[in-house]
Order: sequence, then structure tokens, then C-alpha cells
Amino acid sequence: MRIQDLQGKMEEQFRNHIIGSSPLRNELYLEVDSSGIKEICSSLESEFGCSLISLFAMDERENKGHFTIYYAFAERSAGLLIVLTVTVDPSQGIFPSISTKIPAAALYEREIQDLFGLHPLGHPGGKRLVFHGNWPENCRPLRRDFPLSSRPAFADEKMEFSTINGEGVFEIPVGPVHAGIIEPGHFRFSLAGEPILNLEAQLYFVHRGIEKLSEGKSIEKGFYISERISGDETFTNSLAYCQSIEKIAGIKVPDRAEYTRVLFAELERLTSHLGDLAGVCLDVAYGFAAYQIRMIRGWSYRVADELCGMRFLRSVNKPGGIRRDFVAGKEESLIALLKEIKKELEDTVDIVMHNSQFIDRVENTGILSNRIAVDLNASGPGGRASGIPYDVRKSFPYAAYGSLDFQVPVQNDGDVSSRVKVKVAECFQSISLMIQVIETMPTGEIKTELGMLAPYQFAFGLTESPRGENVHFIMTGENQTLLRYKVRTPSFCNWPALCHAVKGNIVPDFPLINKSFNLSYAGNDL
Amino acid sequence: MFKVLKKIFQYPRVTQGYPKNPIDSSLFIGKPVIVETNCTKCGVCIDRCPSAAISYDSDSGIPVINLNDCIFCTLCEEVCPTGAATMTTEFELAYEELGKRVEKKIKKIFGRSLHIREVDAGSCNGCDYEINALNNPFNDIERFGIHFVASPRHADMLLVTGTGTRNMELALLKTYEATPDPKLVVAVGACACSGGIFRDTYATRDGIGSLVPVDVWIPGCPPRPQAILHGILKAIEKK
Repeated sequence: MRIQDLQGKMEEQFRNHIIGSSPLRNELYLEVDSSGIKEICSSLESEFGCSLISLFAMDERENKGHFTIYYAFAERSAGLLIVLTVTVDPSQGIFPSISTKIPAAALYEREIQDLFGLHPLGHPGGKRLVFHGNWPENCRPLRRDFPLSSRPAFADEKMEFSTINGEGVFEIPVGPVHAGIIEPGHFRFSLAGEPILNLEAQLYFVHRGIEKLSEGKSIEKGFYISERISGDETFTNSLAYCQSIEKIAGIKVPDRAEYTRVLFAELERLTSHLGDLAGVCLDVAYGFAAYQIRMIRGWSYRVADELCGMRFLRSVNKPGGIRRDFVAGKEESLIALLKEIKKELEDTVDIVMHNSQFIDRVENTGILSNRIAVDLNASGPGGRASGIPYDVRKSFPYAAYGSLDFQVPVQNDGDVSSRVKVKVAECFQSISLMIQVIETMPTGEIKTELGMLAPYQFAFGLTESPRGENVHFIMTGENQTLLRYKVRTPSFCNWPALCHAVKGNIVPDFPLINKSFNLSYAGNDL
Repeated sequence: MFKVLKKIFQYPRVTQGYPKNPIDSSLFIGKPVIVETNCTKCGVCIDRCPSAAISYDSDSGIPVINLNDCIFCTLCEEVCPTGAATMTTEFELAYEELGKRVEKKIKKIFGRSLHIREVDAGSCNGCDYEINALNNPFNDIERFGIHFVASPRHADMLLVTGTGTRNMELALLKTYEATPDPKLVVAVGACACSGGIFRDTYATRDGIGSLVPVDVWIPGCPPRPQAILHGILKAIEKK
């Protein structure tokens, strides 16, 4: 399908509701009236096979006199992006909820309710999301008249959790400070005997106000904020940021920089997946394998040190290209290191995957059904292990991925074992991609000047982080600043999927299931 | 089984000798410095620094870098017209809170073994991954008798990362209260030291120092595992 075909079809089918439409590159922007949004969204999902990938609001009262809500859908087979916008009258402050038709929208709408104070009409459960009991009512940080550094008084309200009643049903509260060295989050398990009946995750303990913080900041400073959204996804987040800025500036990044970006993105994926695999092994008390994989992970950090001296690949990217030529002169030693990693990983995987005790723990544990995964837009290895063959690198090729050879591994069982298999296969794909990149990298420039950016322009940046699809939206303000920076990391979509995957499993398997997804709290909480 | 044994013999020991033997830090990006003789006081680094870590020294008028605020982004080195700002490879940056020397005796008690509870009070998870890396076979922190424990009730030291977000404030204070005296607190990373790039938002504090008394500060964004190890050993004065 081409973008013009889609535009024609949409305009014909919803001519009463569409106020304006404009195609741009592979993106279609539709201005819609709020009475028709529910119908259009559900038809986009059911008839056109699109998935909701982001939903956010923007305060445009200053220049336009209203709030705007953006609904971003992706048509993944043809690589199209459809963005619907709806205006919200500030005096009423309500917008129609689409969650009953599209379950994935529920969390976004609660987020808008908290941060903008706009009420989603007809939302099935409007509990607070970002704000815990210590926040007062009427704290609306993303409204533009809310000062960044204001510190509202502490309230003391109790957070309610969904409860399950019945004989023998009890609850286990866990967190926010966990037993292991991980990020904070509160989990409320409801159980009858050993199996988990329900899990409710209360997150946002590490909410740092990143979106508000970026408002009005220079493009340069925004970049450093994007690098610090989620530590182990530093590079892919910064890449999504650069991608949006480069789209707005209308510049072409030199080929050598595009190839180098693939190298770093894949190194990040490899490091992250190795950490997850070691974690899964450790959680089934398989010490030998865990330490073996941790050792290999140490080597991948050595690749990072060789390349740039930063273990988390920070300060490597920049809008317009990369900082320095990181690869020149190191080709041979890098390939030797990567081959060593590949050999050792092959040996280790061979041992692990033939261990019956390991297989016994991971098979049929934490099953995420394909139906739920699709409904919640689970992405990354979490989605691909449940039969969703989607990868941003294939659907919306960026950097040099379009000219490189790689496969997207897919599994259909949706259990921990499937996720482990997907991650193992992706590790090998990443190593092969890195070697390809080093061998075929063209010579030449590594950065382009950005130039002045026009104000009030916007663009989406999509990348595939180790955890899945990353969607960044940027609108520029005057004098090279950011007016709005909306980040949606894969963890935001995958957390609800995790809560479904643990149902019916026993509590001791929760850490294992959690590790197999390895979601970022910081990336979710912003 | 044979394959497992083979691996055990193939890699009998990968643990690095740090800090007994120095580590090759030639590839590391460490502390930034401004070389006084080359500096023209043009102020570019001050304007561009994303975490506002650089300011003019009130006496000499030369820009100075506050390591607590620094996020080690290397931008000052890139924008400095005269090359006065440069990144060094120095990574052992932990320093103690002044006036805390009286607690030497406590440190002696902990000297034999130390139990640590890690608390993420609002980091990007970079520091947490680096703390995790202390348990990997390269660093193997347990060789010093240092263990990470599951509960603050078993801990002698809190290793805190993150800016101290509003939603984590209560949890951090409760964790501190639950840790038996005598106890030490170590702030890890730019966020915990000063708020880093997340300073001064509606949801954060300027580091954890305003919430709990801190004994040792470890700058970095994130500090390397060896830099964290150096900070922990410094806190208990174990060489």
C-alpha cells in the first residue's frame, strides 16, 4: 500500500470526520474531529491492520488556543506512519477515550490525564498512573504554565490496588526497593495458594520529569537528556532523537556515520541481551552458565572501550552524524574480538540449551499469548517470542539497516524459553551485522552541519532498541529549542504484557519471567 | 559435563587484580580538566555544558569543573577553541565528605566484611548496571568480603544511585531508617551527587544529599565498576 492509496481510502470512508489531510514522506497526517476519532482508530486497527504506537497530548493554548492530542499508528508491512490529531477545548478539558476499542491506548490516556489534566471520557479505569499518593490534585506538569522547578506540597493519599476476594486469596506486596540490584517498582500479587491470580505493577518511582525538563532546552542539551532516558538503551534513544532532528532539518547523514551507528546500536543490543541471558541463568540458579555469559558480556564492554572509551556508548552520536571516526584503524582487532565472542557464545549456548534442568524451568513458564501481545502492542523480543514478526529495522529501515543482510528471529510459544531463543538468535545476528558493517563500511565524512531549524516543525524518530520499538516525537520551538519531546520506549508497552504473562505462574518464577523481558523502569517512568 | 569442565579449565580465573594491581586505563574516558595555561576564559564551555557543571572560579577567573555535576559528556573538550579542556583517563574520583573522619572506628569494625544494600532512587539504570558489574567475574567484589544483601536490615552500607525522585523519597528514607547503626551511605553517580542533568525539576531533588547523610561521593555518569569499587573501599578505608 502506498501513502496516497491510504489517504484516498481514509478520506472516502470518513469524509464527515476528516478536517484536513496531508501526506509527507511515508507519513500521513489527518486532522480529525473528536466525535469520529473512536471510529477511525478502531477501523485503522481492524481494517487497515495498523497498530497504535504512541498517543500523547500537547499544550498549544498559547498559539492556537487549544490542546492537541496525537494518535500515531504504524502500518508495519508497508512501513507507513499515520498520525491523527484531535483538538481539545481547554474550557471543557475532555476527550473521548478509545481504550474500549484499542486496549493499548489505556495507559497513554491515563498518562495524559495525569500530566495534562485532560479527562478521557469513557475510560474503563481512570486510576492515577504517573503520580502516587504524595502528589496533590491539580498538579499538571506538562501544561506550559506549570513552572519546571515548582515543587508542589506533599499530599498523603493512599494508593488503591485492584483486589481479588475469595476464600484463601491473599496478597504479596513487593518493592519498590527490591532484593536484587535493580530499579524500583512496586508489585502487588494476588494469589490463591502458589499460582498468581493477578499482578498489578505500580511504576513511576523513577519519574524524573524528562518531558517537562526538555521543554525549551536547546537541541544540544536535549540530546544529552535523550541519552539518559534509560542507561542501557543510551545509544538507540539518542539515535531516535537524532533521527527526528535530522528529519526536521532535512539533512542526509553521511554513509560512514550511518554504518557506524549500526555498529553501536548492535553492540548495545548484544550487551543488553547477554545481560538478560545471564540473568535468566542466574534466576534458575545455573551459576556456571550465568558467569560464563557475564564473562562474554565483559568482552562486549571491551569492544565498547576499544571503540569509544564509554561502556554505555554515551557521547558517541550527535545530530547530523557521529562525534569522531571511532572505527578507523581498529577494524582488525574489533573483528577478532567479535569472532572470539561468537565462538564462546556458541559453546556456552550449546551447553545451556542441552541442560534439561534449565529447559524444565523455562519451557511453558510465563506464556504471553499472541492475542494479548497484539492487543497491547508488545514489541521487541517480548513480541517476537509471541509470534509478532515486527522489527523497526525491517519495517522502517533507518541508519544503514536497509543495505545490510540480517534476519528477524521469531518464535511462537510466548514462554521464557521462546524469549531466550529469540535473544540468543539476535545476539548472533548482531555479531554478524557488526562484522558486516566493519567490513563494508564506506570511507568519507562522518558528520553534516545541522544548520538552523525552523520553529514549530515536528518529526517522529523510530528505532529498535534492545527491548523493542522506540518512538520519539519532537516539535521544535524558536531559536533551536525543543517545544515538545515525547518519548515512548518499548518498556511502556511491554510492562502490561508482563503482568499478563505471569498469571497462573508461581511467585518464584516471577523473577525469571521478569528477567526474560528485562524491561526498563527508567525508560517507562521518564 | 565434559564441556562444562573444559570451560572451567579454559578460563580458570578472569578476575582482574584491581586495586592491588593497577588497571590499564588508557582507553577510559575519565575526569575532564581545564588546563589553566591554555585557557582564554572565553566561556564557551560554561555556556554549552549540558549539566551546568562549569563556572568561573571566583579567585582566578579560570573556568573550573564541578565533578559532582559533571556528566562526562566530553562536550567541553569538543567545543574548547584552544584545547584547554581535555578529558583525562583518571577514573578513581571518589571523595569523602569533609569532617567525617571521626567515624574511623566504625570503618575499622566494617573492615572485615561489609554488607551492602543498593537503592535506586531515580537513576537512568546506568549506575545500577555498573554496580551489578561488581559481581561479574572480572571484578568479583566478594573477594574483599563485600556482599550485596537483599534487605536493608542486613546492611552496613547503602549504595544509592539516582537524583532522589519525589516518588522514591519515602522509600529511601524508610530504607535508611531500616538500616541498623552504624551505617555508611555512598552516593553513586552524577545524579546522586548533585542531580546531574535532572537537577531542579518538579519530580527530582538535587541529589540524595538533602535526604540522607552521605559519607562518600562517587562522581561519574555512570562511574566505572572500578571507580565504584574504589569508592566503597575508600568508605571503609580498606586498602
